[in-house]
Amino acid sequence: MEKKIVLPGEKIGDGMIRAHNTYFDGTATYAAVIGTINEEGRYIALETPYKPLVGDTVVGVVTDARHAGYSVDIRLPEEGFVPTRTIKVSLQLGDFVLCKIKSVNEVGDIDLGEVRRLPPGKIVSFPASKIPRLIGRKSSMIELLKEHSGGDIIVGNNVYVWISKGSDIPLMIETINMIKKKAHKSGLTDEISKFLQKVK
Amino acid sequence: MGGSKNTKLVIDGKRVDGRTTDELRDIKIVTGVIPAADGSAFIEWGGNKILCGVYGPRECIPRHGASPYKATLKCRYMMSPFSSLEEHGRSGPSRRSTELSKVIREAFENVIILERFPNAQIEIYLDVLQADGGTRTASLTAATVALANAGIPMRDMVAAVAVGKADDILVLDLDKGEDNLGQSDMPVAMSMRDKKLLLIQMDGLLTREEIAEMLDMVENGCNKINTIQVDALRKHYENNGEDNFTW
Repeated sequence: MEKKIVLPGEKIGDGMIRAHNTYFDGTATYAAVIGTINEEGRYIALETPYKPLVGDTVVGVVTDARHAGYSVDIRLPEEGFVPTRTIKVSLQLGDFVLCKIKSVNEVGDIDLGEVRRLPPGKIVSFPASKIPRLIGRKSSMIELLKEHSGGDIIVGNNVYVWISKGSDIPLMIETINMIKKKAHKSGLTDEISKFLQKVK
Repeated sequence: MGGSKNTKLVIDGKRVDGRTTDELRDIKIVTGVIPAADGSAFIEWGGNKILCGVYGPRECIPRHGASPYKATLKCRYMMSPFSSLEEHGRSGPSRRSTELSKVIREAFENVIILERFPNAQIEIYLDVLQADGGTRTASLTAATVALANAGIPMRDMVAAVAVGKADDILVLDLDKGEDNLGQSDMPVAMSMRDKKLLLIQMDGLLTREEIAEMLDMVENGCNKINTIQVDALRKHYENNGEDNFTW
């Protein structure tokens, strides 16, 4: 079935419908970003900036060491903050970290916790709205990538994907770009599996 | 706005380029042309060629420009030095480009849901590669597609078109000749769902009745432009981001 594409300002339904990236004008609910309507009639955004939620696991880069903690770039308008007293490891500028979002306030200030330092590697960005395809059903896609990379890959809830130093980084970037391009297609895991086997 | 007596711009309901009075020029829009930008669009509207890139929401620079209540919208319209024969195609900011950046920004401030991104900024960059009259309306049309491509939440889509008077006849979508030699020119931007006016400027003189008639012409024109915008976006997302676009 051809998926119906919904554009900003298009009506989703009468009355208030609770869904992300929509707005309510008093009588009906309208889409705010480009999205699709799936088989169950639910509206899903195709293209949306990452919205931080408490409990999300994010990959970031340490950008600043301040006297009370560290600033971490998690590709949001505001940098995340890691207080020094909550962590045991010492961090350096440019370190890759994996952490959890502890709190987000209404102006977008973010506190991070449960910090783990990641070994050297490479960080690539990936559209937040397509992250579910990169992970796959029951994390099938990411397991497939890990199998063929020879190293490790970590996908944050935000737009960053970390690839470990030991893995085949150029191949992984190519595969990730392929997933990015074909994110709307079904049977993507099989296609990627075939592609990776062919390369081998 | 010369209104020269010797030039005929409309003869038997046909204009210089063979269009009828309420006909638009050919419009072609492609989206997703700049991979590095969050959203992008390229429009060819008659002789106009405009490239648009959208970035954000990201950290507001300078920080004193940030607002804790809503995102700051920034817009930069610029004509390339080679975009047209006239003097206003020189590089660098000018009186004209500052005005156009401002009116485009203010049109979008009414449409984008800025309250969702406090302390952030959203940037719209518009570069006119080739100009042939009506660049502000073409820029607004292209920027809407680029914003939708970037996933910036909007209440509505925006379409814009100019309408004017040449040889005492009302004409839609003026090109450069009609703009320079005609009597009046009125660019209008409209939100497509609730048909609200987001931009209206006027050069020359018009009567109340003429303006009422012109706004009807604009609404018809905007509906046609909106279908082209929607088709461009649909095509992009149905073909998985492959538009077969070549420069």
